[in-house]
Amino acid sequence: MVGKEADPAAALQRPDSFGRFGKFGGKYVPETLMYALTELEAAFKSLSTDHEFQKELDGILRDYVGRESPLYFAERLTEHYKRPDGKGPHIYLKREDLNHTGAHKINNAVAQALLAKRLGKKRIIAETGAGQHGVATATVCARFGLQCVIYMGAQDMERQSLNVFRMRLLGAEVRAVHSGTATLKDATSEAIRDWVTNVESTHYILGSVAGPHPYPMMVREFHAVIGKETRKQALEKWGGKPDVLVACVGGGSNAMGLFHEFVDDKDVRLIGVEAAGFGLDSGKHAATLTKGEARLPWVGPEHSFLKDVGRAEYYSITDEEALDGWRALSCIGDISCTGLSREAVPTLPDATKVVLNCSGRGDKDVQTAIKHLKL
Amino acid sequence: MAACTNYLLTLSFHHANSSSISIPKFSTRLHFNRPSRVVENISAQITCSATTSSNNHMTRTSNILGLIDQADAGLSSTGKFGRFGGVFVPETLVSCLNKLAAEFNFILHDPQFQGELAVALRDYVGRETPLYFAQRLTDHYKNSRGEGPEIYLKREDLNHGGAHKINNAIAQAMLAKRMGRKSVVAATGAGQHGVATAAVCAKLSLDCSIFMGNVDEERQSSNVLLMKHLGARVKTVEGTFKDATSEAIRKWVEDLDSSYYLAGTAVGPHPCPSMVREFQSVIGKETRKQAMEKWGGKPDVLVACVGSGSNALGMFHEFVRDEDVRLIGVEAAGSGIDSGKHSATLSKGEVGVYHGAMSYLLQDDEGQIIGPHSIGVGLEYPGVSPELSFLKDIGRAEFHTVTDEEALDAYAVLCRLEGIAPALEAAHALAYLEKLCPTLTNRTKVGDLDNSYCLVGTAEGPPCPSMVPKFRLVIGKETRKQAMEKLADKPDVLVARVGRYALLCCPEGIFPALEAAHALAYLGNFARPTLPNGTKLERPIMHGHF
Repeated sequence: MVGKEADPAAALQRPDSFGRFGKFGGKYVPETLMYALTELEAAFKSLSTDHEFQKELDGILRDYVGRESPLYFAERLTEHYKRPDGKGPHIYLKREDLNHTGAHKINNAVAQALLAKRLGKKRIIAETGAGQHGVATATVCARFGLQCVIYMGAQDMERQSLNVFRMRLLGAEVRAVHSGTATLKDATSEAIRDWVTNVESTHYILGSVAGPHPYPMMVREFHAVIGKETRKQALEKWGGKPDVLVACVGGGSNAMGLFHEFVDDKDVRLIGVEAAGFGLDSGKHAATLTKGEARLPWVGPEHSFLKDVGRAEYYSITDEEALDGWRALSCIGDISCTGLSREAVPTLPDATKVVLNCSGRGDKDVQTAIKHLKL
Repeated sequence: MAACTNYLLTLSFHHANSSSISIPKFSTRLHFNRPSRVVENISAQITCSATTSSNNHMTRTSNILGLIDQADAGLSSTGKFGRFGGVFVPETLVSCLNKLAAEFNFILHDPQFQGELAVALRDYVGRETPLYFAQRLTDHYKNSRGEGPEIYLKREDLNHGGAHKINNAIAQAMLAKRMGRKSVVAATGAGQHGVATAAVCAKLSLDCSIFMGNVDEERQSSNVLLMKHLGARVKTVEGTFKDATSEAIRKWVEDLDSSYYLAGTAVGPHPCPSMVREFQSVIGKETRKQAMEKWGGKPDVLVACVGSGSNALGMFHEFVRDEDVRLIGVEAAGSGIDSGKHSATLSKGEVGVYHGAMSYLLQDDEGQIIGPHSIGVGLEYPGVSPELSFLKDIGRAEFHTVTDEEALDAYAVLCRLEGIAPALEAAHALAYLEKLCPTLTNRTKVGDLDNSYCLVGTAEGPPCPSMVPKFRLVIGKETRKQAMEKLADKPDVLVARVGRYALLCCPEGIFPALEAAHALAYLGNFARPTLPNGTKLERPIMHGHF
């Protein structure tokens, strides 16, 4: 038997006992939080084998969140992408936009709220940028009767006043953070400060697969239902697996939720798409992985790891491209696209099954889209 | 399970006996051509799980069942529910409606159509919607002894589009396609039916025009934008929903052969009320199954908000013959039932003919339509479903009202207690719980709320400023150059390229978050073959009018 090249992704336990994914991840926090994280990890491990907890969570995901979300065959999109010879990939959308609150975020929020209750915590804190995670957190706190404090940069609060209103309506206290740039990273610092002070009574609901161990692992596990359902639905619909999974990557939770189930399936290609904002060279982007800057804090360590070992690929799309399909299409051949060194992407064979995570609905974005969709 | 049905029974019996069929003042005016406002009805339904009611003696008169059977038998030939309904339309429309009725009857029994519809409801709309036990709401309504009904919510807010409207829109759009129609015309009040129609037309490649009152456009501006993103033409009409409806019907009449009027609610000439009710009845069917799974019984009480009646009928219809299930519709009392500013058609109206059907109607002594009012825009319609009018007359269903203030309080309560932000329309049904729950005995399972997730139109005013940008999106084979030529006489219109975001909106009628749109944008990079540098690509651009 020919020796097989060791598969780095499969070989390691992800994460290891230090919370590392290869050289990424870990637990770099103030000493006061170490105990809380250890306690959290222990609670999470015990609950993952607790049938009562799982049953309760499943019930909430089904009746409150509205799972399972459909795997929808996008017929017209598939038509749109057909080549002149009539061949092309089959495009399916995993409809996380149909969840309660309109995005995938709630999968993790409900699970963490349940976990917090089990730990006897009465108070929840979270940070939020645009407000989506804040709304999801406030929602579950209302549902479970937990006190809720959301930290939000004062600048963000002005831009997202509707979300602020929503959170308050849901009974949450929204605390404005004025320090620094008064945006997400400052809100995060405040939230951590709060947690350090109130760690006995308070659980911090982190919204993505980033942050100190055990959060990346926990949040991934709580979103893994996306991938699990997809496997089942793919089997039902076409008797096989997806060929390609595509998901957008901010912190990376929806992508990990879809990918995780299939990481060990080498024949399933994993593609993460980041935000290139105004372009990778503009300095105004969030394309942590594509640009290869490991120091930026916001993308999950597991994604960094998967990219490093070559298991997943990461590309970026500018604001304009996200809104302007023409540009993206024409860029396939035209290497003069600003800031993007695009590799030649081979043609997808006919009937390749592509599953795209439609991670959220966009009525929150109509104003933005309308502002930009002009010459 | 606690046996509390005797008390319930008494109440129901009382209601049954208290109503009598009275001869209403019959208005001979046909309001068909009057501007009218159609209410986007978003029902809230509270399902009660039946305890042992089926074992108790139902001493309720069997006259009701008899009347229901009679109405059913006559429906297909007369288009009437008792004396309500009918086909009060100009001659030009009669044969068109007959054709529609025939086609509708056919697809009801066509396994292929039903199969395709089931897939669309499951994968596109996101059915079945959960029947959710609202623990905190249940606790909230308990009395000092800790007794009270169990409250379940039927989560129509989780449908694609955020309301129950899409159940009907997808089915009718499929029917329109089957009939070979190329374009769809509809009217919308709160915008939910408009959004649902625009979405399904995008998905099914049907041209779409939505008529909306200018007053409503201001109040529901984000829905207007959504419709446009989904590729629909939004036509502004002076006034509100009832006016938009009249205009839409007028437009439809101009081109009966190739256009299809997609009724959003259970009003209008036969077969519209029946069709809409039938397509919405999936709500009630699922509820019955879910109730059986959850507590091995039926609901005791169903509560739904009533604008025109589509969501109420969608829930009630399944249970109309279950006399042990109480049906409660909640209308909008607006500024107060005696203020003159309300939309409580069944409580305060009189019988007349409006938009092609006989039903209860808010009209003055001279038969002029009274403009309705409610903070729930979707409840503002001066008429109501003929079928609900019938159910009221025979005493099968009861109707109550709730003011704007009470609805707003209920909205806040549901947000705080369950983390669900209902549509203001649905909040009316929720508000009625305040009055209903103290009268219900322990363990009665009280109904569902059909919520539509809708944040505009709260007391603080619409969260999204109204924007009507002057530009035209160009889609499809037409190039930008061709589009510019066509618009030569409209210099202030911008021609815009539409990107991935719109790409998903228009073909599939799904509006993704901009975050998800990044992933979608990447599709183009490998879904097409690599081309040599410098290859000129015809830009695929998307088309829609403003």
